[in-house]
Amino acid sequence: MPTVTLKFKDNIIGEYKIEKGGNLTIGRREDNQVVVENLAVSGHHAKIDSVGDGYLLTDLQSKNGSFVNEQLVSSHWLKHADVITIGKHTLVFAYEQGETQTGETMGEMDQTMVMDTQQYRAMLNQSVSNLGAQAPEKEPLGVLSFLAGGEGEVELSKKLFKIGKKASSDILVSGLMLGQTAATISKRPNGYYLSYAGGMTKPKVNGESVKDTVKLEEFDVIELGSIKMQFFLKK
Amino acid sequence: MIVVESGAITDVGAKRKANEDTFYLDDEMGLYVVADGMGGHQAGEVASQLVVEALTDYMKRFGKGEEVEELADSDEALSKEANRLLSGIKLANKAVHAVSKSKEAYRGMGSTVSAVSLTDDTLIAANVGDSPIYLVHGDSIELLSVPHTIMAEQDALSPQGAKSLGKAFEHMLTQAMGIEETVRPDLSEIQCFKGDIVVISSDGLSDKVSPKEILEVVQEERPAKACRELVDMANHRGGDDNITVIVLKVKAVEREPAGFWSVISRTMGKLLASK
Repeated sequence: MPTVTLKFKDNIIGEYKIEKGGNLTIGRREDNQVVVENLAVSGHHAKIDSVGDGYLLTDLQSKNGSFVNEQLVSSHWLKHADVITIGKHTLVFAYEQGETQTGETMGEMDQTMVMDTQQYRAMLNQSVSNLGAQAPEKEPLGVLSFLAGGEGEVELSKKLFKIGKKASSDILVSGLMLGQTAATISKRPNGYYLSYAGGMTKPKVNGESVKDTVKLEEFDVIELGSIKMQFFLKK
Repeated sequence: MIVVESGAITDVGAKRKANEDTFYLDDEMGLYVVADGMGGHQAGEVASQLVVEALTDYMKRFGKGEEVEELADSDEALSKEANRLLSGIKLANKAVHAVSKSKEAYRGMGSTVSAVSLTDDTLIAANVGDSPIYLVHGDSIELLSVPHTIMAEQDALSPQGAKSLGKAFEHMLTQAMGIEETVRPDLSEIQCFKGDIVVISSDGLSDKVSPKEILEVVQEERPAKACRELVDMANHRGGDDNITVIVLKVKAVEREPAGFWSVISRTMGKLLASK
């Protein structure tokens, strides 16, 4: 079990052990495990987490920053004898004699790891709490509104939306030159894309013929055979 | 029918002792998979192989041209083929999860999975984890997969928060195959066109080579050569991880089968064009 020794100038103020799977919070407030009474230290300044085989120091958006071996860090995998500076205090991280030191092989930590869900949520909450309430924006839903050839609105609720003459199409169109599936709209991570799928007539977006694929922007007008629709994003 | 030219390579990289990546390529089935395994003592290799085996076995059961029965918990937003791929991935996850509990050495093992399945004229891309799937269309390269990493998810919630997390979180996954009983893969279905290029790789490539560079290489070279070049680039820049790449180039997409009306319209088209 590694220890963290808190010092001020050359005086040892305290020694704290970090258990595997545990953590150590550092700051001026009394609810920290390591309380550092100094105005240069933020209320919740930093923390050290035991993650997998290593120990990770994370700065909690402190005013004056956290330093490891005099370098400013936002997060850092600790090695034996690393000196952490917080305000005017120092904390020396040290493995016990004979203990396996994973700090040296921290390169291996670049290997993809999977976060234990609870640990992940806890770490995320701590890191993000300073930024205030975060409401994840709901993904906007694409909607097609009929301008001609139909009534009302159609929600683009499918990943691949089909427009064509085939009975199973999501929007039916009529026209001699149109394909069974004339065009498709795909919902991708980047947004909605309209593609020409088949048939003699190509779809038009804002009057321009679509040879293969075009990304849809809000208010784009799509024309195909008997229908004319406008693309919207509903939040 | 989509006709492709494909190539694939997997390389242990310059620093690792073992290759824990597995890939699968089948032009006939139109199925392409990359899995990047993780776990101590080569359990990663077991995990990625298991993911690929379970998924491809499942997909093989639905041969081309056979009518596929509606699957029990199918998602209405997806086509039959997409639901099939999704179910295959969920099943593969259960398989890895079960095996991971069977031996101490396999505890906590997991893998990413990124799969592309081709239908008559569309392409379905699904992923769990952070192995990227790129689509090259014309002169642009687009990421079709959704990275399941803390960095990416945090970035989606609040870009400020993502910056404050620090480098260590770049490789931490929020989802992987085998870790929990269920997974929520991300999936996209898109229209396929002649000239489109799809690249599936493990992060051993994407960490070292930028999307723009991948675009340039796959546009210039044929799939097999492109794979070799990309792996070499990653190795020259450190090769810290295993590197796996699959490149598919769409050579042709045969659209609608000939039918009465399409013959008429083609004839009419010729008549109109000649006027």
